[in-house]
Amino acid sequence: MRWGYDDGMDLAARLIELLGATRVHTHPIDRLIYAKDSGVSSGDPAIVVLPETTEEVAAIVRMAAGADMPIVARGAGTGLAGGAVPASGSVLVVLTRMNAIYDVDEIGRTAWVGPGVINLDLSDALVDQDLHFAPDPSSQQSSTIGGNVGTNAGGPHCLAEGSTIAHVLGVEIVTVDGDIMVLGGAAPDPPGYDLRGLIVGSEGTLGIVTRVLVRLTENPPDVVTMLISFDGIGDAARTVSDIIGSGLVPAALEMMDGPMIEAVENFVHAGLPVGAGAVLLAEVVGHPAGIAAEADLIREIAVANAATDIRTATDEDERALLWKGRKSAFGAVAQAAPDYYLNDTVVPRTRFVEVLDEICAIADRYDLRLLNVFHAGDGNFHPLISFDASEQGMSEKVVAASHEMVHAAIAAGGTLSGEHGIGIEKRDLMSRVFSVDDLDAQARVREAFDPEGLLNPGKILPEGSRCFDRPAT
Amino acid sequence: MAWVTDFAPTTSELDTCIDCGLCLPVCPTFRVTGDESASPRGRIAAMRAVDRGLIGVDDRFAEVMDLCLQCRACEVACPSLVQFGRMMEGARAEVTAQLPDWKAFATRTVFGRAIASRSAVVLLSWMVGVAQRAHVTGVLPGAVGKVTALRRVPLPVPTTAGHEWLPDGEPVGTVAFLAGCVMDQWYSDVHVAVIQVLRTAGYRVVAPPNQTCCGALAAHEGAAYDAAKMAARNVDAFAGYDLVVVDSAGCSAHMKGYGHWAAGGADLAERVVDANEFIAALIDEGSLPKVSEGKVPIAIQDPCHLRHAQRIVDEPRSILRAAGYAPVEIDPAGMCCGAAGAYQLSHPEMSDELGVRKAVQVEAAGLPRVASANPGCEMQLKTFLADGIDVVHPIEVYWDSVARHK
Repeated sequence: MRWGYDDGMDLAARLIELLGATRVHTHPIDRLIYAKDSGVSSGDPAIVVLPETTEEVAAIVRMAAGADMPIVARGAGTGLAGGAVPASGSVLVVLTRMNAIYDVDEIGRTAWVGPGVINLDLSDALVDQDLHFAPDPSSQQSSTIGGNVGTNAGGPHCLAEGSTIAHVLGVEIVTVDGDIMVLGGAAPDPPGYDLRGLIVGSEGTLGIVTRVLVRLTENPPDVVTMLISFDGIGDAARTVSDIIGSGLVPAALEMMDGPMIEAVENFVHAGLPVGAGAVLLAEVVGHPAGIAAEADLIREIAVANAATDIRTATDEDERALLWKGRKSAFGAVAQAAPDYYLNDTVVPRTRFVEVLDEICAIADRYDLRLLNVFHAGDGNFHPLISFDASEQGMSEKVVAASHEMVHAAIAAGGTLSGEHGIGIEKRDLMSRVFSVDDLDAQARVREAFDPEGLLNPGKILPEGSRCFDRPAT
Repeated sequence: MAWVTDFAPTTSELDTCIDCGLCLPVCPTFRVTGDESASPRGRIAAMRAVDRGLIGVDDRFAEVMDLCLQCRACEVACPSLVQFGRMMEGARAEVTAQLPDWKAFATRTVFGRAIASRSAVVLLSWMVGVAQRAHVTGVLPGAVGKVTALRRVPLPVPTTAGHEWLPDGEPVGTVAFLAGCVMDQWYSDVHVAVIQVLRTAGYRVVAPPNQTCCGALAAHEGAAYDAAKMAARNVDAFAGYDLVVVDSAGCSAHMKGYGHWAAGGADLAERVVDANEFIAALIDEGSLPKVSEGKVPIAIQDPCHLRHAQRIVDEPRSILRAAGYAPVEIDPAGMCCGAAGAYQLSHPEMSDELGVRKAVQVEAAGLPRVASANPGCEMQLKTFLADGIDVVHPIEVYWDSVARHK
């Protein structure tokens, strides 16, 4: 039988003893419910557990490792690269219940938080202190801090603020041996190796993050948010290049193409310019006098590049609505077709228009429907292919086209992932950007933490990354 | 065995979800448990697994579906416009059809049959009314004891169906009125207020005699065939009326979805208007007065089937403002209070947890009064709120204000 009850049963009984029956799932329905994240890959966990404390995580890891079962960490399951897809027969450790915020230091602007704290909840909880957590992935209303750390998540405002790694000062992890370690800390420039830096972006392959010391950012005194429309995507892209070229670093600089504008507007009803070729969402933050001048400069550059309309949000509600439009882009594409595949490539800004043309040509060649959103400011592309996986041969076609798109970005001097992590879906493309020696070095790091390869196996590094795995040449 | 009823979630409905997970944080049961199996996306995954033949409808499937409050907050958060409420009603219908246990039998008996029978509801209401007067409700077991928190049920119990009310002058038009099932007996004060306000605006109000319960509770609890029958009967009862005013959010939300339930249902759905949106529009166009007596702050709680299912948010607020109050927000997310119709009885633990959370939000406003436009929420709030906080209905408050200034 495909969905058996028997595998891992003894362990399940012991886990129920530890956590209680409501926090341990082994039923086939639960295994299917937890089979995937927001990406397209799926797996099959043997047991799903929902711990509440670091000690429980440590006990779970010891039991699972003792039974030689793979261990996979999961937050809200909003990842797009399959990082939290459970290996077959694994123990899936769901960290959403570890959602306490403790030790907020208003002066030092730090806080220790559980990995299950939802990104936006953290900022909402700090409203009175006038602080927020700067990384703002589009999934921020749902995704957890633990997941943001696992993937080194980015977001529109990471253009000026840097991605998650710039906002994590320390982590508490449970190692594969069940030991509890704290890496990094609030002190600037801690001595020794920066192991904290290794953990950020490691997707649960080096340990399970059970607490995070986050850096908090002061809310800006003022903000100007503009929605700029263009007839063609080339005009929008040139505007981006010129803005960055002027030396200005906006807080955010986002782009959507025509098909995406239409899909988003149908949900958000924000008065987006349906029919326009592209829009830029530009935001500047700071002191009122300074940002007024910056906003004027952006408007001038946009007009010089044939902008057809410039709308400035007049209040916080309008600003929130414009951002809601941008942040619901991925979900909104389901109106077009039931499945989508999303790339996360980065290209040098100077090659932006050229690579975009190539990506569109690839989609045309494969006869695929393409919608585009971009973190345009830092050259991060999210070309999104909308398709129906139930059509014969469609999934293979989509993957082939996506790989060509990634190759186009790499050939132009870019790389294969900006912020979503590698997971399963980008794993086999790693050898396109890393040499065999690079991959071997990364695999050795992983072995140092997890010699048996039990932590989130099959993620990040392609099969055969260790040099002795390599076929003789 | 996959699906067995005509109500099951269809493959194309299920395909509208792309697993983005933006629904998770607005789902009350996910918020409490952190468990994907208690989230909209997880429930869709379970439905999909049955639809694809990977699993059958078993007790665990039933448990996963039954924990849902059907508040439909997920639909508001969903950029893919997934019709979650419709699919959940279909999944519940499957559970009832495929697991014919005592619970399915009880569900059909109570929500499919008894509630559609006026004499059964009158009998039950009479028993509640007597129990309230004998001060014995407090000893009733568990959630049933919550009837203590009900308004006092009038004796003898009233009924609205079959009656007609005329305005003082020449009618500007006629509207039909849904009497409802428990609303008719347990919240007759709200009916009175709505009817009087409609009369004041110049309308003739008719409650057709052959109407029945809207069927929302039956649909929510999986008694789909009974729900379909009730919808069909109401399609007949309300034929010929241009507008049908409904003053319970759960009923108006359900009737606006009648297209799924009966032939001619889509046509009736078009003519259904919630009392809040109708009266707010009448105030806005000047057909009803704005009473100005200062700005008394009042907390406001949104019933899910008004706010999420019908996206009616501004209307109860503008009614309160017209009554001289200044509405104070208690919860920007509009999280369910845990009442959710029969849910209080079937899942007392989850219902109580959400009730306590909502009470904390209301009490944080520090006001003596909270407005809520739904009887279920009112009962839940009264159960969990500290003494000294009144729960009132916006339209009752408005009528009270208008009557005093006449």
